[in-house]
Amino acid sequence: MAVQPIDQFAKNLRPDTRAAVHDGSKIGHEKRTRLLFDHLPDANRLRVLAGEIKQHVVENLDTYLPQVEAALQANGVKVHWAADATAANEAVLSILRARGATKIVKSKTMVSEETALEPFLRAAGVDCLETDLGEFIVQIAHDHPSHIVKPIIHKNRREIATLFEQNGLGAYNDDPETITRRARAFLRAKYLAADVGLTGANFVSVESGRLVLVTNEGNSRFCLAATKCHIAMVGIEKLVPRDRDLGLFLNLLARSATAQQLTVYTEFINGPKSAAQPDGPEEMHVILVDNGRTTVLASECREILRCIRCGACLNVCPVYRQASGHAYRSVYPGPVGAVLSPLLAGERFPELADLPKASSLCGACNEVCPVNIPIPDLLLRLRAKGKAEGAPLAAAGTPPMGAWALLASQPTAWKAALLGGKLINYLPTKLLPIPALRAWEAKRELPAWRGGAFRSWLKHRKSAGPQEAQKSQNEPTL
Amino acid sequence: MDLTQRVLPGPDKRVQLMATCLCDAFYDDAARATVEVLEYLGCNVEFPDGQTCCGQPAFNGGDWPASRKVVRHTLQVFAGDLPVVVPSGSCAAMVFHGAPLEFEHEADLPAVQQLARRTWELADFIVHALGVTTWPGRFDGTIALHRACHTRGTKTCEAALALLNSIAGLKVVPVGEVEQCCGFGGTFSVSFPNISTSMGALKLEHVRAAQPDILVSPDMSCMMHLAGLAAREGRPLRTMHLAQILRDALKNGGQL
Amino acid sequence: MTSGRDTILSRVRSALAPLPRRAPLPDWESELVVMRQARGAVDPWTLFAERLRGVNGTPLTSAGELITLLDRGGWRHGYCDPQVWPKLAAAFPTSFTVETMFDRARVDEFQFGITRASAAIAETGTLVLTDDGTASRLAALAPWVHIAVLARADIFTDVPQAVAALPKDPNVIWVTGPSKTADVEGILIEGVHGPGVQVALLID
Repeated sequence: MAVQPIDQFAKNLRPDTRAAVHDGSKIGHEKRTRLLFDHLPDANRLRVLAGEIKQHVVENLDTYLPQVEAALQANGVKVHWAADATAANEAVLSILRARGATKIVKSKTMVSEETALEPFLRAAGVDCLETDLGEFIVQIAHDHPSHIVKPIIHKNRREIATLFEQNGLGAYNDDPETITRRARAFLRAKYLAADVGLTGANFVSVESGRLVLVTNEGNSRFCLAATKCHIAMVGIEKLVPRDRDLGLFLNLLARSATAQQLTVYTEFINGPKSAAQPDGPEEMHVILVDNGRTTVLASECREILRCIRCGACLNVCPVYRQASGHAYRSVYPGPVGAVLSPLLAGERFPELADLPKASSLCGACNEVCPVNIPIPDLLLRLRAKGKAEGAPLAAAGTPPMGAWALLASQPTAWKAALLGGKLINYLPTKLLPIPALRAWEAKRELPAWRGGAFRSWLKHRKSAGPQEAQKSQNEPTL
Repeated sequence: MDLTQRVLPGPDKRVQLMATCLCDAFYDDAARATVEVLEYLGCNVEFPDGQTCCGQPAFNGGDWPASRKVVRHTLQVFAGDLPVVVPSGSCAAMVFHGAPLEFEHEADLPAVQQLARRTWELADFIVHALGVTTWPGRFDGTIALHRACHTRGTKTCEAALALLNSIAGLKVVPVGEVEQCCGFGGTFSVSFPNISTSMGALKLEHVRAAQPDILVSPDMSCMMHLAGLAAREGRPLRTMHLAQILRDALKNGGQL
Repeated sequence: MTSGRDTILSRVRSALAPLPRRAPLPDWESELVVMRQARGAVDPWTLFAERLRGVNGTPLTSAGELITLLDRGGWRHGYCDPQVWPKLAAAFPTSFTVETMFDRARVDEFQFGITRASAAIAETGTLVLTDDGTASRLAALAPWVHIAVLARADIFTDVPQAVAALPKDPNVIWVTGPSKTADVEGILIEGVHGPGVQVALLID
């Protein structure tokens, strides 16, 4: 029987990696829950409300996108539109070329991971440096982030210390504080020498064109304090209608992502710096990126566009905890990734058609989602899509259902099967060539088959009356 | 599906029982206990004989045409306007949530929605349809309640806990990381056997740490998985359906 | 050739065309997002100070306390906003070197930076800096110690109030405690790219 790649990945995962991912996620989830419910009078009401606001945005992008463009322009921001990854990367490059810029410092942005901006710029001769500590480590390790907000949750301090040593960042020292100080010193010089600061955006207010960035390390602030040009790559779904809605989303985002009331830095950017201010960008560009989002918008899974990238669904997900982010083979891992990644892949959907299967459909992701995305429903829709399109990865390991459906719609056959199934009690089930049964039996006992026993009891007591049935309770049925 | 607008029983308290395929095949006593409990509460329980399965395996597996075939059969079998009681949070959720989802674009969606509005998980039905919030009788022992995942967003566990906590002699102990899934997930248990069993092992750790005599669930599917894992480890776990506890409490108290 | 703009907008329109109706925009009460502890708070500074300590920040109420803190840390070279310096100069002993121009060429020579805070948010322990109200973005960020000078009247109780009062300034930043990371094994380390010590100094 064909195996599911994510299950296989989990099986082969190094035990210390699994423990790091599992424990890190568990702690993150527990802290989040305490903070949300201790602080706020009705956290669940907020999740529903935030979901309604984002759903409204998603379903009114035709109105909001031109509005936000105008608001940004009124703030002195140059607006670019990028239909796909190539267009987005080229938009960045053309801005750099126009300024003669060759060095950029970059604050963590998932959109740029999607478009593979860094290798593109490197090939074009641009020095593009990640400044978020985790992303910086990912970059020097030639690795990929494995979590939306904790990019190196899969790495331990020893691996990082070795990397630093290999990259000339000091003799081996695995103390996290030393690692952080060394990165601080190294990156500081880079900020000050850079021409351009590149960021994403967590929210953009349609009302004011305010672009909101949240970070903890201060790296995005440094990008915007040290350089003279700011480029923000923004997914077209990042809008909120009104400034006041930011009060709701900021309260939910940091609590859901990192169990903070607010992140250390919450920056509201309304265009290039003011005249009186000596530091910061004199020029600001926003690139509105589609890159598959309109395909998602056209699908029946458009609710996933509400996502504010907090990672709470990863932290709570029992499958993610066992498999880790790299198992998902895409920029977005975990439950949100299992929906978003195959859809963003467009025509390459079959390559990721197994992702929606990597869920017990337990629903914990929906329960924690700050924008109340019905992730299990969307996973189910994508399973149906995978099956309908005959994607082999969607089918791997799932028993065929045709014969079962036939049986389950014919009561006579069903009842016969209930009785006949008893055979299984006498067969060496571990040896039966039924893949599903063997997968079950590998680590679990099957209960005894009691097919038809309930019906027989019911029939018996009906003919005998309830009193008689009571007496016959312990008699063997069938 | 809005669960606040569901069909309540009439004065004659006639209900239909959807026993579920797992009870039909493995756990006959859970179905029997459901009948006995409902009858004790004055219900007139009808068992439509043509019933098979709710359609969930194919729904979860992505084979919606196959699933719809089974759901359509279920619609026929459970025709009428009586409340339908299900001793499984998962099968109940399939009827009131899953089926409307997979019938979104089907002409017979209204029929699916009609059945959805009539369908109740057992504990939810006892507490919120019949208004029974305490349970008589006696059950001596310590139990833990497994929060079956498909009861999320419903009032099942709240109802089950209210009933269990009111039973004389019964002590309910909390289990750690109660929001975590047991790893069953239907076909997930066989298509992702490694992850599924690792999840089960974590759940078993938490259950054992709580030291209950019995693990109780509103769903036998999770119990099949956990008991199967525990048995293979050679450290058997005693599991019971909620209905069995309620029925045994009545028996011990002389009410049955 | 169609522009990216036209392509995206036409894709958006055709994706949304089949929707029978669009989700409405709900309104919501600000009360919903105000933390319990901030309700009916008597003195905004008291709440602010408590919440700032909660994120490992340092609330101070006199220049004397600030000097003690800087002295203990061995931080004697720093920057001060020229508008603030006249109020503080008298308190600083001659052993301190304080400049009123932040020179980015000597960025690491500055161990502390004193700037103005335009406002604060009590329930979160947050300081609000703006481009027009903060003399130098770098001076509030690069030194190990950042001191934001705050007036009592400028403290909002909660986040919705602060959002409602967002100024027209091109750049507003909310700072909630020292810069930090937990990227390495989830261990909290303060002072990543920004300050490792975040002070709010109340001056009435």
